[in-house]
Amino acid sequence: MRERQLILVVDDEPQIQRFLGHALVAAGYDICLAGSGAEALAQAMAQEPDLMILDLGLPDMNGKEVIERLRLRLDLPVIVLSAHDQEMEKIMALDLGADDFVPKPFGIGELLARMRACLRPRRTARTEVISQDGLLIDLTAHQVSRDGELLRLTPKEFDLLAALAGNAGRVMTHRKLLQLVWGPAHVDDVPYLRVFIGQLRQKLERDPARPELILTEPGVGYRWARSERGTA
Amino acid sequence: MDKRPALAPDPAMESFEPPRLPPDDRRWMTTPRPGGVLGAALLLALVALAAGQLREFLPENVSILLFLTAVLINAAAFGFWVGIASALGAIAAFNFLFVEPHFTLHISRPHDLVTVAVFLLAASLTGLLAGRLREQVEAAKTRAAALEMLSQASAELAAVTGPAEVTRIVLRHLNRLSEGPAVALAPQGNGLHLIAALPEGYAPEPRELDAADIAFRHGRAELAPAQGWNGQRLSFYPLQVEGSPGPVLGHARLAPDRRDRDLRERTIEVMLRQAEQALHRLSLAQAAEAERRRAAAEETRAALLASLSHDLRTPLATILGAVTTLRELGVTLPPDSQADLLAAIEEEAERLARYVEKLLQLTRLNAGIAAQMTWVDAGDAAQAAVARARRAWPDAQILAETGDLPMIRAEAGLLEQSVFNLVENAVKYAPGPIRVTGTVDGDELVLAVLDHGPGLPPAVANWLGQDGLTGAPAGAGLGLPICKGIARTLGGRLTASRDGAGAKLALRLPIPEAAA
Repeated sequence: MRERQLILVVDDEPQIQRFLGHALVAAGYDICLAGSGAEALAQAMAQEPDLMILDLGLPDMNGKEVIERLRLRLDLPVIVLSAHDQEMEKIMALDLGADDFVPKPFGIGELLARMRACLRPRRTARTEVISQDGLLIDLTAHQVSRDGELLRLTPKEFDLLAALAGNAGRVMTHRKLLQLVWGPAHVDDVPYLRVFIGQLRQKLERDPARPELILTEPGVGYRWARSERGTA
Repeated sequence: MDKRPALAPDPAMESFEPPRLPPDDRRWMTTPRPGGVLGAALLLALVALAAGQLREFLPENVSILLFLTAVLINAAAFGFWVGIASALGAIAAFNFLFVEPHFTLHISRPHDLVTVAVFLLAASLTGLLAGRLREQVEAAKTRAAALEMLSQASAELAAVTGPAEVTRIVLRHLNRLSEGPAVALAPQGNGLHLIAALPEGYAPEPRELDAADIAFRHGRAELAPAQGWNGQRLSFYPLQVEGSPGPVLGHARLAPDRRDRDLRERTIEVMLRQAEQALHRLSLAQAAEAERRRAAAEETRAALLASLSHDLRTPLATILGAVTTLRELGVTLPPDSQADLLAAIEEEAERLARYVEKLLQLTRLNAGIAAQMTWVDAGDAAQAAVARARRAWPDAQILAETGDLPMIRAEAGLLEQSVFNLVENAVKYAPGPIRVTGTVDGDELVLAVLDHGPGLPPAVANWLGQDGLTGAPAGAGLGLPICKGIARTLGGRLTASRDGAGAKLALRLPIPEAAA
């Protein structure tokens, strides 16, 4: 086990590599660099990094292809850096298994927060109780309560909540949520998902018009807001 | 460049004169020509002489057959009237030589009158039949010639590349068909203007221009009145191209007494339809070409926008990332990392400033804002650009070799920027030292940037030679379009060439006479 986690930075712009290098080292990570998709795949195999930061505008292959080929061999978290004109590619990358995205340009704090969310060990068993902001979610007992008061959720609503809260801090694409909760036949029923998200917000949020728990990533999906203090 | 199908105009076709319709003068009842009369008389005299010589041996009824043969030959060869004359001559000769009393023209026997009648009948019948046959042959020849003319015209029209060619070809054929002047007029401004005439230099009279105008306004043919009546001597036909009025074509009045007049009229009509179709085809081809150009420009604009947004985004991402890193992780950063981040911020901010400057200039050039021309020392402008480039790329080797140059009329800022852009290009794409030279070439001042690189990609070099500012091929970036725009704004041009082992991009600007 390495002392410091190793981050693979894949970007063809030397200036981006330059500041990311300084920032990640200062934040306590080790880094290795790659300037192209092919190099990224080679580095990923050789170094087995703990996380990959992948720019979608690579000269030799698009980000979707990198992730597809990476996922054949390795299951490491991937954060994609995307520009505004790469929306479709970004969504495809997320659907293909990228864990999160950060739109360019970004502040280093945002990237580091996303990295921390992705580097936390994923929940394996649903034995946990998620407590956040007065909200108590018992994943095994299928019970949700706010400030001691039991909230009534339908089974689908609870599944959706579990899918979101179980991946706190990470973006969940429409497709991923629909597949998890409703199954592969419904991956395109985004309006359906929207209705259920609306119902969940009505029941969970203090002010459903200004959600603080279930955040919308426009065009991409939803994200469970993670309290930086962590879960109990 | 677009590849045209192999239907290029055949050069042989250009020199090939349209076939002539045969002249209309060999008609069976036309007045006999002197040659015909002479030939007929000669043949008759020959037969008479032979018959006279052989009078002792030949019976009378054989001699008369000889005379009849001569009459038939004359009628068949020289027409009706010559045939009749030959018949009378033959009777006279036969009567003179063979009929009692000999050597007089007196007809004593009643059956000799029958001979006269038979001769006349045979001669006239033969003359008529021969004439009709000839007429049919003529008609067939005329039709064949007309068809040949039409097929030639349609082949020529299929190969045309411009409306002027269509007019030229049709005029040539109209000239032949009408055996008189042919003109083409096109709408221009608020009236019709003569665009071509055959024979060249033919000027239609005012009444003809009026008739053409009427044809144009009403959208129907305005025919010349018959000979002898007042009015124009030309018939005018307005052409329609895609439902909108095209040129008006006119040709001389057809001679009314010619039997092939109908055929000529129909040929002219078909030819005009063909001309319309050719014009239609050209306008469609033009529209397709315009559409293709528009799509290409659109594509280029999209590519430019994509490259631009990338060019702007990267420095922004670097600056924002570095600044937030310094602020949020500053305490944990070693001093040299902090210094490097600050340097990165500075570099990227400068890069951003250059892009923004270029964008503003491109916008200004595209908007066609006039330059503020003053007397400028081009050498100074080049030196300033080189100094700026040295600051931007301290590692690059940039030599300025501008001697004493004449003053030119220009805007100093634009001139400096264009030289700077050329140097920037060289720094980016070529290794080794870069030379900036200033020379005088005839009445042009040449500011050139020479490098040791591979030169421009062919598509970009080709685009430099073209007229427009837009439509730069992808990969031309922003610098070159700006240079080209500046060169044009300053009244000059931008050229690319090979120079020894490297590339030479030259800004050629006119030297005003007062400065030379």
